Amino acid sequence: MTDVTTTGERLLFLHDADVTAQPAPGIQQLSRTLGLDLDLPRHPGFGAPLEGEALEWDSVADLAQHHLLRLDAEDGRAAAADNSNSNSNSNGGRANGSAPHGHTPDPRPLHLAGAGFGGWIALEMAVRARHRFASLTLVAPYGVKLFGPTDREFADILLLDPAETVELGWADPSACHGLRMPGFPAGLDDREYEEAFAERAALSRFVWKPFLHDPRLRRWLHVLTMPTLVVAGDRDRMVAPGHSRALADLIPSARYAEIPGSGHYPYLETPGAFAETVAAFVSEHLKTGEER
Amino acid sequence: MKCFHFSEMPYPYVPPEAEAEHRGLKYFIPNRHYDPVRGYELYQRYLDEYELADELGLDLMVNEHHQSASTLHVSATLSAASVLARTRHGRVLVLGTPLPHRESPVRVAEEVAYLDAISAGRINCGFVRGVQGETYPSNQNPVHNMEMFFEAHDLIKEAWTRRDLFSWEGRFYHYRYVSVWPRPYQQPHPPIWVSGTTRRLVEWTARHGYTLCNLLGTYEDTAKSFRLYRQTAVEAGLPEPSPDNFAYLAFCHVAPTEEQARESGRKLLWYLKQGKLRLGAANPPGYSSTAAAVASLRGKLGEVRKYSFERLVDEGIMLVGTPDTVTRQIQRLYERTGVGNLILMNQAGEMTSNEVRDSLCLFAREVLPAVAPIGRSWQDEDTAWRVDNDTHPVETVLASALS
Repeated sequence: MTDVTTTGERLLFLHDADVTAQPAPGIQQLSRTLGLDLDLPRHPGFGAPLEGEALEWDSVADLAQHHLLRLDAEDGRAAAADNSNSNSNSNGGRANGSAPHGHTPDPRPLHLAGAGFGGWIALEMAVRARHRFASLTLVAPYGVKLFGPTDREFADILLLDPAETVELGWADPSACHGLRMPGFPAGLDDREYEEAFAERAALSRFVWKPFLHDPRLRRWLHVLTMPTLVVAGDRDRMVAPGHSRALADLIPSARYAEIPGSGHYPYLETPGAFAETVAAFVSEHLKTGEER
Repeated sequence: MKCFHFSEMPYPYVPPEAEAEHRGLKYFIPNRHYDPVRGYELYQRYLDEYELADELGLDLMVNEHHQSASTLHVSATLSAASVLARTRHGRVLVLGTPLPHRESPVRVAEEVAYLDAISAGRINCGFVRGVQGETYPSNQNPVHNMEMFFEAHDLIKEAWTRRDLFSWEGRFYHYRYVSVWPRPYQQPHPPIWVSGTTRRLVEWTARHGYTLCNLLGTYEDTAKSFRLYRQTAVEAGLPEPSPDNFAYLAFCHVAPTEEQARESGRKLLWYLKQGKLRLGAANPPGYSSTAAAVASLRGKLGEVRKYSFERLVDEGIMLVGTPDTVTRQIQRLYERTGVGNLILMNQAGEMTSNEVRDSLCLFAREVLPAVAPIGRSWQDEDTAWRVDNDTHPVETVLASALS
């Protein structure tokens, strides 16, 4: 495969619970295919303990606010760099017009994506800053409850044993990789399991109740008018059957795509098919291409 | 030494295959396995045993767990009300109300005040964090368990002691108007007891001067936990804690011969059966430190569960034997730990009411008078646990206790 020239556009991918910090092959392939600069932050409490004010955080809305502020801060840095280079680089390629909060946005278009728990965070960000994102990709996201009170729409990722999570989350459980949970994989040392427990605690802090969803999110889905793709593996049992498709129906500009032979982590289990499906969607909404 | 009778009021009729299928008797066991008529009979029987224990001169303890066949107490305050109505003399120890799992601390303040008011102050009020798995029936976030415990306590104490209407806008609890009626009979409030082994909780309990209870730990771990309490209290400027600041829960069964005691006492093992709870239930996210969570993963917590019956008896976690044997063991418990309150789990599983009643009667006749004087003159004794004899720091221990 030949190197693709970078478009200068960005892909912010928000990770799911239980996945390792290693960049997932499906995400890497996607960014290579489209020449996107990849931004793969870990959520607060994942990879490093929460500290200071973050110890007060207890909702996914807090995480969304955190990631949006982080983008603002990067905008500030990019703008500063832009100003200092303004004589040599007068074409900023600014695509989204003026920024909503009165600061100078990073000139590079930003595509937002998230999987599972990260998909929920992406949704919370998107309803708060819908003009910021050139596109939105949601991989079997948690966060929105669609069915009745006794319908379990999300597997209890805070209770299930790792083997059960793998069984529900993979079309082929024997091919599982890229996950880390308390006690999983076997044979890790105490320090690594302590990190896994710490991440579980961070996750619990944000998603415990109401479990894996925010009842206030559904009522704002109608503001999501940016191009949106909801994508799920056809063998995903972490999210109830039909959930991702029904969620796509509630988002005005969304379409739904299914990855055959894949579970809850298609970017790990079937990276080629995942990257192809998402690239086909994102490539329709590259801003740089329009300007060329 | 004060002795409390305690029964968890188990429902012992769940078929083993159902227990296996649902990974134990707690939290996730469908209630189709509960028979209302047999349940009624059990409640009457257990309450009768409380009544007998009261008549025999013991104090009484009730607790609560949820969605559990191992305990039919669903609310420690409700159970206390039932026991108070059946008894006349003994103190009723509510150990305890799991504060983080109750939606409303103000309601807890009201209920305990009511119990104290109707009984002219027979209540000892226990507050607990709730054992790990309780977080699933209550659906309260385990990450906030400790902080909710502290805030709920602060609010309840304010509700009992402030003589005026007040508002509470805390982190977890929000009320615009609080002024609880009735006020507790015991002023300013009933004695507060806390059970737990976490260092932070033990230190907090010590600084408040509350009674600290260890449930079924080894004597060695219990002694360490109590040493931490004493050192913390003295550092905080409080007087040297007395035996009355400490409590220990043990199994108990006495009989005229060692053989008889062991034959029936063995049935108490039912309580220690380890359901195959998922790790997520045995150690909910954020409930304890990551180090303790890994210890739980590695099977290093609650080691008492793995002891053989003989070892449990030898170590005195099971006070099983003749009255003489059990009296000696209680004396040893006091010498090792300085405890002044002993809670006796006199029943578990399929132990019959006759076995419980026989043991209660013999205990009351021969052990109770023998152990009653223990610790009365603690200030004149030069035991190892006196603060002046204990100058080295207390290391953190992995809890051998069950909760």
